[in-house]
Amino acid sequence: MKTKSALIIFWGLMSIVCLSNCNSKIDESRCVLLPVNDDPTISFRIYFKVGSQDDPAGKEGLAYLTAHMLTEAATQTNSYDEIIAKLFPLAAGYEASVSAEMTVISGRVHKDNLSTYYPLFADAILKPAFNEDDLSRLKSNILNYLENVLKYASDEDLGKAVLYNEIFAGTGYGHLTEGSIGSIKAITVKDVQEFYKKMYNRQNVIIGLGGGYDYATLESLQKDLHKLTAGKVNAGVKAVPYEIQGLKITLVQKNANATAMSLGFPINLTRDNPEWYALAVANSWFGEHRNSSSHLYQVIREARGLNYGDYSYIENFPGGGRRQFPPVNVARHQQLFEIWIRPVPNDTRHFVLRATMRELRNFVDNGISEEQFDLTRDFLRKYIFHYAPTTMMRLGYAIDDQFYGIPGSHLENFRAALDTMTVADVNEAIRKYLQYDNLQIVIVSNEAEKLRDELLNNSPSPIRYATPKPKEVLEDDKQLENYPLDIKPENVKIVDVQDLFF
Amino acid sequence: MIKELCVEMILILSLCAVGQSVEPIFPYKYNVEILPNDLKVITIPMESNGIVAYYSVTRAGSRDEWEPGHSGFAHLFEHMMFRGTEKYPGPMYDKIMTGLGADANAYTTDDYTCYHLNFVAEDLEKVIEMESDRFINLKYNEPEFKTETGAVYGEFLKGRVSPWYVIFEKLYDTAFDKHTYKHTTIGFEADVKAMPTMYKYSQSFFKRYYRPENVVLLIVGQIETVPTLELVRKYYGNWKPGYEAPQITPEPPQTAERTAEVSYPGKSLPILLVAYKSDVYDPGNRRYVAALLLEQLAFGENSDLYKRLVIKEQKVEFIASNFSRNRDPKLNEIYAMVKSETDIDYVRDQILMSLEQFKTEPVDESRLNDLKKNLKYRFLMDLDTPDNVAGNLANYIAITGGIETVDQLFSEIMNITSTDIQQAAQFYCVPEKRTVVILRGVE
Repeated sequence: MKTKSALIIFWGLMSIVCLSNCNSKIDESRCVLLPVNDDPTISFRIYFKVGSQDDPAGKEGLAYLTAHMLTEAATQTNSYDEIIAKLFPLAAGYEASVSAEMTVISGRVHKDNLSTYYPLFADAILKPAFNEDDLSRLKSNILNYLENVLKYASDEDLGKAVLYNEIFAGTGYGHLTEGSIGSIKAITVKDVQEFYKKMYNRQNVIIGLGGGYDYATLESLQKDLHKLTAGKVNAGVKAVPYEIQGLKITLVQKNANATAMSLGFPINLTRDNPEWYALAVANSWFGEHRNSSSHLYQVIREARGLNYGDYSYIENFPGGGRRQFPPVNVARHQQLFEIWIRPVPNDTRHFVLRATMRELRNFVDNGISEEQFDLTRDFLRKYIFHYAPTTMMRLGYAIDDQFYGIPGSHLENFRAALDTMTVADVNEAIRKYLQYDNLQIVIVSNEAEKLRDELLNNSPSPIRYATPKPKEVLEDDKQLENYPLDIKPENVKIVDVQDLFF
Repeated sequence: MIKELCVEMILILSLCAVGQSVEPIFPYKYNVEILPNDLKVITIPMESNGIVAYYSVTRAGSRDEWEPGHSGFAHLFEHMMFRGTEKYPGPMYDKIMTGLGADANAYTTDDYTCYHLNFVAEDLEKVIEMESDRFINLKYNEPEFKTETGAVYGEFLKGRVSPWYVIFEKLYDTAFDKHTYKHTTIGFEADVKAMPTMYKYSQSFFKRYYRPENVVLLIVGQIETVPTLELVRKYYGNWKPGYEAPQITPEPPQTAERTAEVSYPGKSLPILLVAYKSDVYDPGNRRYVAALLLEQLAFGENSDLYKRLVIKEQKVEFIASNFSRNRDPKLNEIYAMVKSETDIDYVRDQILMSLEQFKTEPVDESRLNDLKKNLKYRFLMDLDTPDNVAGNLANYIAITGGIETVDQLFSEIMNITSTDIQQAAQFYCVPEKRTVVILRGVE
């Protein structure tokens, strides 16, 4: 009797196991699909609801490292060099992208090569080996970035990194995605294994699939990703930044031959709010990324030739020096308004800061004119056609729509909003969301103490050009060189570049 | 609309199994037209959701800066060309272009300067009018010129913080004595600083190089060839020829290995750069084409050296390469960021030993076939938007003046044997063609 009962229970359990493991799959509500039937390629974007804000204290960079341990390391089936060798003839690969709240594993392959590619792609997500050697290699890459590249090879990226760390200090956004020098050194294989087990669970995944895939591929993905461990959806926490009081200045002291600046403050507006589109129009006029239509660009570069470009943003925009259009899958629930001043000659830094602050003030106080609105709206109507030219990019936007809970498509909504928007809407959005009194300012430059004194004393910053300038520019400069900035001594700090990111 | 494009790609891609005769590789039909003023126009219609890519490939790069003291002018023109004309002065040009919502930019290389726009097809005529106007009638005054030179110096300063800029500047200065490849694209610092005083020279530069014989228009996307060409004739027809070729001194053959060291005024891991003098880009030169494959076999991600130095021994952060595809013989470059000062010599020896091995041992046929398959799929998968098609073709067009070279190159690639690879290694990778540069950070 006892044996029989046990057998019945055993077979009962077997059927339950089979139901959950053999017939179960990721629900279609968690699949973002973009079929393009005759596309000869297939695009994958597998989105996990995890990001750097989930890094445990003291282990900052763990989300970043874990994702790259999936895509740039061995699996239980193949060593990393075997994976490279198998992917090579396909001219295909996969990569990880990690931001504050998102991790995406993406790849693209030609249909001809799907049967070779898919098992490698699935293994990367499902069967990572988490070898010590791979971890050591990837940690070395990140440490080189933090210790050398970021501090010394790109002052603009350095300024932006410090800006984010300052604005979001004390929140999950308040450290670099790549972590810090100390935390990266502290991360072990066990940390990666545990983080993977907790965060890469089947409740936490969204499948993005686009291009010329067939139903079988979708079903394989749904079933295979269901093999991830059971777990909880990572609800994520919206970072709540502290309130900036006044103009807060962080001067990064380094032996710099030019001065890079970044300015910003948090804004409580994300693209799921219809007002976002009005503010996007305003921002496009004020500082469209890498466009000469940017007003800041016109003032600082075009009229005065002081640098290479000057732009502003209402969403996180990493890698701005390397891209023309907004990135996808870096969505976050807390955004910021950011100004990027590309390097200026050191002896013009105070002047350029004044010019930037004055232009921001005029922008906030006066808004934009009807004519400026019309031109900017015309520009954006066509310009946003360039945002997502490929299936892979459109898939990225569709996943971001899921992140923000946007019905339909953000880009289509953007175009539709432009048709009904008025200049009054734009100026109302400026008044509601932008200001110029409370900002974090980061300046990467040499002779930081001298600059601090000049800023605190509101010392005149007359500018001398090597080249002649029109009379109206010179007259405007006379106003700018004494434009007052209300900076309190307690709001200025100097950090040496060597002391950053520990 | 995407549908038709993709059908075409499937047809072509399905033909590209290795070993078959697969000419031509380039999947789109195209038309080449030469106007009476010798302006060449290449049109490539493709379905693209209404987007058009418009590339003005100007065959003047830093290579063409042959007069001493004037390096950097090709790049400066990349800036000056946005300054407007009499008909459309700078602010008006900017305003019109803004209204078009075009993605407009430009870049400069050692062999060419490329002005590129992406826009919606309904604006084709306006773009042709605006682009032709600035190429024919560019006008700027001396103060505007001086202001733009300030922006260029700003760009120079921005780039100078990178150790890569520092080491490549040193490499070219060391490897070349006579040829204009001696300077980087942005130019010698002294020349860039002196630019504000060279307004008149800048006008002469424009008059000599911005001529129809020296420019190729590449128009890709939602277009029809016949009406597009009519517009091109209408707006570019009165552009007068007058190109004057640069008087570039050929580089004398190098006779012995050269070495140099350079300091980087920041903190950096050491960078090792090993370079060999190459040949002019020529898809008909089997040895040259074989060297392009050697690059991938020896130093690509799938190479034994990469796996040893990057993955197994972890002596370098990375190793990469860039073999010459230039109008004149330039350099085949291999570079590595070395994790420890004490391993620089070891990594250098490993690079040289790897090349010795390719000289003496024939490469495995399956690896060679994997590479050929990789190159084809990589090329074809990149041709998915008008901008990607034009962007991938621009370099070939700049070097050869046409598009036919793409099929020639891939045809020759398919014919390369392991013996060709050996012979290429034996010919190019010899000490007397070598320059080695090491960069160290000072902080």
